[in-house]
This record gives sequence, C-alpha cells and structure tokens, in this order.
Amino acid sequence: MNLLMNPWLFALILSLRVLNATALEYENLPDIKEGIVSINLQEPERTVGYTVGDVLTRHITLEIKKPYQLIEESLPIIGYERRYKGQLIGIDLSNIKHIKKEDGDAVMHDLTFSYQIFTNNVVVKNGALPAEYLRIINTKTKEIVRYRVPSFDFAISPLSIFGAVKIENNMSGYRGPLLLDNSNEKQHFKLLLGILAISLIGLLYMLGKHAWLPKMGGPFAKSYRQILKSANTPEGLQNAVSSMHASLNKTAGFSLFNGNLNQLFEKKPAFQQIESEIHQFFGLSRQVFFEPNAKHALGNAPLQWLAQFCRRCRDCERGLITDKQIANKA
Amino acid sequence: MSDRLLADWRQHALTLETEVNKVVVGQHNPVRLITIAIFARGHVLLEGDVGVGKTTLLRAFTRGIGGGYQRIEGTIDLMPNDLVYHTYLGEDGKPHVSAGPLLMSGENLSVFFFNEINRARPQVHSLLLRVMAERTLSAFNKEHTFPHMIVFADRNQVEKEETFEIPSAARDRFMMEIPIVVPNDDDIMSGLMFDTRFHNVDALIDTVKPDVLKFDELNAFSSVIQKSVEASKTLEKYALNLWKATRKPTDFGVKVTNVDMNRLVLAGASPRGMSMMLRAARVNAWLNERTAITPEDIHAVFHETVAHRLVFSPVYEMRRTEIAREMLSNIINAVAAP
Repeated sequence: MNLLMNPWLFALILSLRVLNATALEYENLPDIKEGIVSINLQEPERTVGYTVGDVLTRHITLEIKKPYQLIEESLPIIGYERRYKGQLIGIDLSNIKHIKKEDGDAVMHDLTFSYQIFTNNVVVKNGALPAEYLRIINTKTKEIVRYRVPSFDFAISPLSIFGAVKIENNMSGYRGPLLLDNSNEKQHFKLLLGILAISLIGLLYMLGKHAWLPKMGGPFAKSYRQILKSANTPEGLQNAVSSMHASLNKTAGFSLFNGNLNQLFEKKPAFQQIESEIHQFFGLSRQVFFEPNAKHALGNAPLQWLAQFCRRCRDCERGLITDKQIANKA
Repeated sequence: MSDRLLADWRQHALTLETEVNKVVVGQHNPVRLITIAIFARGHVLLEGDVGVGKTTLLRAFTRGIGGGYQRIEGTIDLMPNDLVYHTYLGEDGKPHVSAGPLLMSGENLSVFFFNEINRARPQVHSLLLRVMAERTLSAFNKEHTFPHMIVFADRNQVEKEETFEIPSAARDRFMMEIPIVVPNDDDIMSGLMFDTRFHNVDALIDTVKPDVLKFDELNAFSSVIQKSVEASKTLEKYALNLWKATRKPTDFGVKVTNVDMNRLVLAGASPRGMSMMLRAARVNAWLNERTAITPEDIHAVFHETVAHRLVFSPVYEMRRTEIAREMLSNIINAVAAP
C-alpha cells in the first residue's frame, strides 16, 4: 500500500523488472540466420592511447532484409552501466544516433554509438566497447531473434606513469608497431622529386617540339615542326625557307630583310646572338628564291642546317638565349 | 664575254662613284642613285635646298660621263623657245639666231640640268617632257635627236611663291626623285666650311677624272645590264604586291600617322613607274655583283622611284614628302618576300 502511494519508487521497481526481463530475453532468443543482416562497422581510428574521459565513437550500418525488422526499443540506452562478470566496466554509452532509411526490400539503419571512459588505472589495462544485442522481429511469423554487434577491444592508458618504463618489455598488441621518425627523409625526398620534375620539364621545354607549354607554340616552334616534316627536295626546301621567313616576319612584326635586321635586334635583342646565322639564312633564301646561281656556305644539306637554325631562333623566342648573354659578350 | 663586259663596266661605274664622292662629300646614297639612273637611262628630279651641292654633283658626273652638259634656270618668264634658240643683234647690225641650250651640244648632249624646274611655266614643262620622253625635238625644219641625254631637274620644295607645281603626269617621266640634304656629320660639315678646296667649284670639278665612262656607249650597255640581270617568279610576285600596295595600301594593312588611309591615295604608282623601278633595281643588282634582282635591290630604289609618282588627295599634298616616306616604308614592312 505504501509502495503504491509512492509513484517514484513504484516506477523504479517497474523499470528494474523490465531490464531484468530484457536481459533474460536476449539469452533465450535464437540468433538470426545468416544472410538476413549485413553489418558495416567503422571503428575508432586507434586501439591504444585512451584515458579516462575520452569518448570513442563507432559507426554501425545495418542492413536488415524484409520481412525482418529492428525492434528499436532494443537499441542500448544512454547512461546504462555495463558490467562484466558482475563488475562495472567503466565504459558507458554517452550518445546514440539512429537514422533509418528504406531501401527496396531492406531497411538501412545508420547507428552512431558514442562511449565515454570512466575508469582509470596506474598501468595500461584492457577495455572494450561492449557487444550490443539487438532484437529483430519477423513481421510475418512474429518470431523474435537476436543480432549481436561485436565488441571492440582497446587499451586504456593511465593518466600518469610511475617510474621508468621500458617500452620494449611491454610490446602490447594494442600498441601497434613502433615507427621511426622519417619526416626529414620524406621532406628531402619530396624536394628531390620536385627538382627532378623541374629538370625534366626544363629538358622537355628545350627539346620539345610541341605546343602545350607556355611559349612553346611560338612561330619558330611551328616552323621547326614543318621543317622536320619537309621533304629533301627543292620544293621542300622552298617551303621550309618560306616558313622560316614567315616566322621571322611574325616575330619582328614587319617584313624582315637583310637590310633591316637592326630593327629586329632593337625589338628582340636576343636575336643579336645569332646575327651571323640570320645573314646565312638570307643567303640561302636568296639562292632558293631569287638567284639560283648565288652561292651559300651551308653545304649540301641546307635543310638540316635550317632545322638547326630554326631551333636557335626558337631558343631566342623562348628566352633561352638571353639579352644578358649578349651584354656579357659585348 | 658578257660577264667580262659587265665586270669592266662595273669597275668603271665604281670608279666614277669614287671620283664624284671625292668632290661631293657626305652624299654617298645620292651618288649611288644617280649612278643607277645613268646606267638605267632614266631622268632624275633632284629635291633639296639652295646651296647643298646639286649643281656640283651634276657637273662632277657630267665630267665623268663625258659628252655635253647644258644648264638652264627656271624662271616665271622663261618660254619654250628659250630652250631651243636665242636671237640677238650681231656686230654687223643684223639679227642672228644661235642654238639654245638643248641644241648647243647636238647629239653629244649627255646631261641637261634644269634648275628650279617648278619656277618655269607649264608650256616649258610640256616641251621638256616631250624631249625627255622621245629624246627628239623639231626646230628649224629639222628633227634633232639627243640619244644620250639624261635630264636632271631640281626643285625647291620650301619656296612656293611664283612656282608651278609639276603635274603628276610630268613627275612620272622622271625615273627618280632624289632628295639632297646637308650631311649631318660634324666633320663633313666643318670640312665644307673650312676646306678651301670646296670654295672654288670650277677647280674642284677639274679634279674629277674626265671621261671615266663613254657616254655614247651607255645606251647599248644599259640594254646589256637589263638583259643580264634576271628576276625570279618570287621577285615578280613581290614587286607586284608592292605595286598593289601603292594603289590600295589598306589591303595590306598599311597605315600612316594621322592620315585617313581610305582617302589618301588617289592614284598609286604607274606601270611606267614600276617598270622604271625594276630597271633601276637591275642596275643596283649589277653594281652589287648579283646576277638577279633581290628584294634589297628594290628597296634600294623604291622610295626614289615611286614616291614622286603617288597622287594624294589635295588635303594631304602639303605633307607629301613626309607622308610618302612613311607610307612607302610601311609598305616595305608590310609586304613579305617570299
């Protein structure tokens, strides 16, 4: 009578009875058959280095095929103290998130369990995020089965260490391998890789024939490709010389002749470095286009010389032959 | 044989240039251009201020070429017959007629210098232009010929009072218009002032080696040059483009500062002008020991053979010299070869 008069006491007694009944139910329920529930666990990153007060979070994704259905009341309760062999384990569930999504013939449950450590020791001791039993019901047969979410073992470190610790004597499997500090080597490696990459790009820039780097698509780069493709015939030579004329004119911004080279040098001083070769080129052009009897000093393979000359012009165009070199030469 | 002939004459031409350069200092380019005109058999219009040495230059050339040299001053009251004859009362009290400057040297006339041609009336111009074109003159019921004559005329571009501008048809008869300017080298300018050998022009001219060339063989040799020096297809195309550019500069992207290019050119170079340009270019190639014309040969004579043939809108005529110079330079810069 007195008990019934005190509603708080009555509620407490009732809830304890329910919990006891639940625990008993788990033990008696059969395990769910394989293939009905699939689980994906995302555990905390490390298994060591936790101390009192730390929060460990595990993400659990359950996919339960219909007609089975999770009994949501079987999800663990925040704050419920866990015991192992009658002893409090000191790890409590501090937060829970549950998102449910229908996915065709299955239901997806995204569960996030956060546990907080409330235990400490003078030496490292083992701990575990406890296994959780969930009840699942077959909505057709009304059969209730259980599903076990596995536990997660880890080590709980003391807040402070007393005395000298020789770590080699305590090679705990929870600690993971001891790694040497290689950050300096990594930095050097990255630096050397960078230098190598720049050198390769530079080499490619100097030797490359293509137009996919800055300043690579200049007139002389195009002429160079055309000269390399030119047939070793009078027509091929004419086309090659003509292409070089076009490139020189485009670079100068006006029609370039032997008589107005100074204007080019004023505008593009780098080309002064190859003045004698430009004169030779005009000598070749004279022979090819205007005066077949004229002689040039380029031997019997003018096309090869032209390709070489074009590369020199391309170097000037790309600034590989600098004005500074000219100043030093002067 | 022809190569030997060409080489010998080249040597004579270079000797003539050297001789003239000794007495007319600092005028290498005009001297080269006049040499070219002589061998291309073209008439020359000299443009320059007073006292810059135009007459000295021509007299020096005349002495080197040989043959007759005649000169007349253009004045507003000069009449065509003044070139042909003049009348006077002789000691016997009777009227006499004697040959004027054109007829005085007969067929041996090699240089006729018309000083300040723009001061003479158009009637005089027309007579002179006929003589220039045909090298003949009808007078005293007789046809006179001047097969070796080259006309050098000069005009003062600064003074415009009492002058008659030479019409474009008349300018076109001249192969070249050559500017004569005071050299800007201090040593040369100082020499012209202080070197006493420049003070007596007659004595100065006498120092030029006479008859370096044979004036009566120049016509024949000129033909040899024109036949010997070739022009390639590429050069023909280049010259053609230059010609087109003088007619429609906008087609070649040619611009002149502060000028509306759509209104500037009324007429470009004439066919006669372009053929004269190529005659001159051939001579330049020969003088430079080439057997074919190159673009540089054309450039050497382009301004002087083309500028005076361009006809501009009247609004731009006052700035003709500067506009023509810029336009032609820009044409050379715009037209590519090949």
